[in-house]
Amino acid sequence: MAPISNDDTFRQSLLQLEPARQRLVAARFVEHVLPLCSDDRIGRALKVAADAEASDDELAGALKSARAAALDTHTRCGAEGNWRDQAGYFVCRAAVAALTPGELAKGGSPAWQAAMSSRMARTSVLISEESDAVTSRSESEWQYRALEDYTNA
Amino acid sequence: MTEIEFLSWVRGPGFQIASIVLVAGIIIRIAEILLLGRAANLAEPKGSEMGNGIRTIFTRSIPDAGTFRKSSFTLVAGYIFHIGLFVTIFLFAPHILMFKDVVGFGWSSVPTPIVDAVTVVSIIALLAVLVHRLTNKVLRFLNNFEDLLVWFVTIAPLVTGYIAFHRIGYTAPALIGIHILSVEFLMVVFPFTKLMHAFTIFIARWYNGAISGFRGVES
Amino acid sequence: MSASLEKGINALREQVDSTVATFFSSCVHCGMCADACLFYTETGDAERTPINKTEPLRRIWKYEYTLFGRILKLFGLAKPVDEKLLTDWETLVYDSCTMCGRCSMVCPVGIDIAGVIRKTREGMAAAGHAPKGLIGATQRAITIGSPMGVKLPALQAQIRHVEEDLGVKVPVDVEGADYMLLLSSMEIMNFPEFIGAVTRIFDKAGVSWTISSEAFEATNSGIQIGVSDLAAELVQRVVDAAEKLKVKTVISPECGHAYFAIRWDGPNLVGKPFGFKVRHILEVLDELRRDGRLKTSGFEEQKLTYHDPCQITRRGGVIDEPRNLIGMFSRNFVEMPEHGKMNWCCGAGGGVSSNERADDIRLKVFQRKKSQLDEIRPQAIISACSNCRIYLEDGLEEYNMEIPVLSLTETLAEHLED
Repeated sequence: MAPISNDDTFRQSLLQLEPARQRLVAARFVEHVLPLCSDDRIGRALKVAADAEASDDELAGALKSARAAALDTHTRCGAEGNWRDQAGYFVCRAAVAALTPGELAKGGSPAWQAAMSSRMARTSVLISEESDAVTSRSESEWQYRALEDYTNA
Repeated sequence: MTEIEFLSWVRGPGFQIASIVLVAGIIIRIAEILLLGRAANLAEPKGSEMGNGIRTIFTRSIPDAGTFRKSSFTLVAGYIFHIGLFVTIFLFAPHILMFKDVVGFGWSSVPTPIVDAVTVVSIIALLAVLVHRLTNKVLRFLNNFEDLLVWFVTIAPLVTGYIAFHRIGYTAPALIGIHILSVEFLMVVFPFTKLMHAFTIFIARWYNGAISGFRGVES
Repeated sequence: MSASLEKGINALREQVDSTVATFFSSCVHCGMCADACLFYTETGDAERTPINKTEPLRRIWKYEYTLFGRILKLFGLAKPVDEKLLTDWETLVYDSCTMCGRCSMVCPVGIDIAGVIRKTREGMAAAGHAPKGLIGATQRAITIGSPMGVKLPALQAQIRHVEEDLGVKVPVDVEGADYMLLLSSMEIMNFPEFIGAVTRIFDKAGVSWTISSEAFEATNSGIQIGVSDLAAELVQRVVDAAEKLKVKTVISPECGHAYFAIRWDGPNLVGKPFGFKVRHILEVLDELRRDGRLKTSGFEEQKLTYHDPCQITRRGGVIDEPRNLIGMFSRNFVEMPEHGKMNWCCGAGGGVSSNERADDIRLKVFQRKKSQLDEIRPQAIISACSNCRIYLEDGLEEYNMEIPVLSLTETLAEHLED
């Protein structure tokens, strides 16, 4: 495939993948930001997501687990926000997206949503470090390359 | 005191005292409410206060289906005895004559057998209301002396009136005297209790409709 | 905030006006308000009867503002407003009430019970009886500018993220823009996709808008805790920013209480009418729809329902707009059995979700929402309040229900025609 250089092409490419393959790509996106999350459930959920042979039951179980983790890590309304912890929350969200069946995903693409949430996780870390490193552009670039690698493999 | 003396007293001084307490009491209660005033609403209105206020005075009498299902006893029994009270107090020929003496004009009455039946139904409804009040979880929590007192002064005129009309037990003068006394008791108790809702309900519903209506919601 | 019983009692006195007096004079102890309140229906605890929650204010009214009551007090027959009463009432006034207002719709004599509870909170807070979580949130809101401690750099980072993802600029501090958008900390932290969604929609529709770097917070914890002075300060910041940028309309985002606070309470808190309009994002979007400036394509095929956020719908007046908008992308829409102004609360608003102590009861009363959903079995729920969204998710998870919860604005943005 031609090199991806912007989000429009990125998203179109993702949409062209069938659901099972989208899940596998999504799992890669989330694995890249996994270190930002301290909840063990996500690691296990991702293993299931990355397994091409995973059964529907296993996927449903992993999704449930990821959702629970997302809810546990969100910042309660009015509570003091911690952006480092929020990074973990977004990783959970990304895992949830990766495991959500195609029809129910936002934007029609589980992988797109997973990509967005993964980038959000990276941004959260930057915020917590009060970094002027400005953007998570690097994460987007990494995702473009990851998708290219996957489709060319 | 003879029966006639008793009857004369309740129809004379008794009625005067009760009337003064009732009227002065109502005026004081309403004045002490309205004199508090309320601040003008400085937000940009989405709907009218006056119109929606008036509307709610009427529409609040008609509950939505879900509310009716959840509170059916309260609503049905409540309507029965309220309508019953209206019929027995205002549409009964002997009462209309009494009003004619007081305000100078009368109006048509409902046939006595109907009033009689309505009285019985209202009494039964009020008895059911009492049972409900004494057995329902929420009401048992809320109940206070006033709730029971008001229940009593409301049912007493209906019961004594029924007995007086059917001449059960004592002679007519005594029974009528007791009936009038029970009404005077109600009148005297009225301004000090939740019976004031008979008047304040119009203001409260108006406020409710106005407050919601300002925000564009019909309540 | 130094608190004392005396301050509390004085605060309650200030709340007594003709509406309060009329309402308390009219209560006939019928108990219908309990049947309308999910905190009673799902727990069976009679003390959670809505009108009972107002007892501290009622006592002040009765024994200080009625002739008969004052006479009773003279004879030592007044029920007191003391530390014990306020302590006992804390979990009733805060943990067991979201000020959803369903009781106000149902009371046969017309009492705006939720409004009276709101007034009661003024006294509770001034006396130091507000929940810890809320006190912290309000302090952060005053000192940092956000109840969750979201500072400008964080928002700027989220904005940069959005700009890169969409390739569209998010206007900040643009003087003379038509609209100034506020954001709730909940959105910035938990649902930042909302910012992107609004940006895309406004860009496509050619809306002139901006965010203010000096006042971007929509949430008003002062309202939830019930301290009008603090609530006023938070509103004033928005007013100052809106006036500085000379905007025509301030937009309240997908947050229920934020809308109520700025739209309906705002001018009354700061003591003068606003020189600008206030609209909820749904109102603005619906106006764009009516003007033909929103072009969408495609439909959601799944069976959708809409959860009406209480402060936007019943207490806010934004009832038809969300339905009009949903109609643009859904052909398979079903209403909850009791919807619109008679909707049932998610159980988390009005400070309940900020209060850890209230977690158990919040999850318990979610059963009311659960039973609504069991009846219609939707495949997804749409809502327009970030708090409702996350706590709907929380409740659904608790009861093992697999129903995604979506944001109306975000879903609309996804269906924008390219």
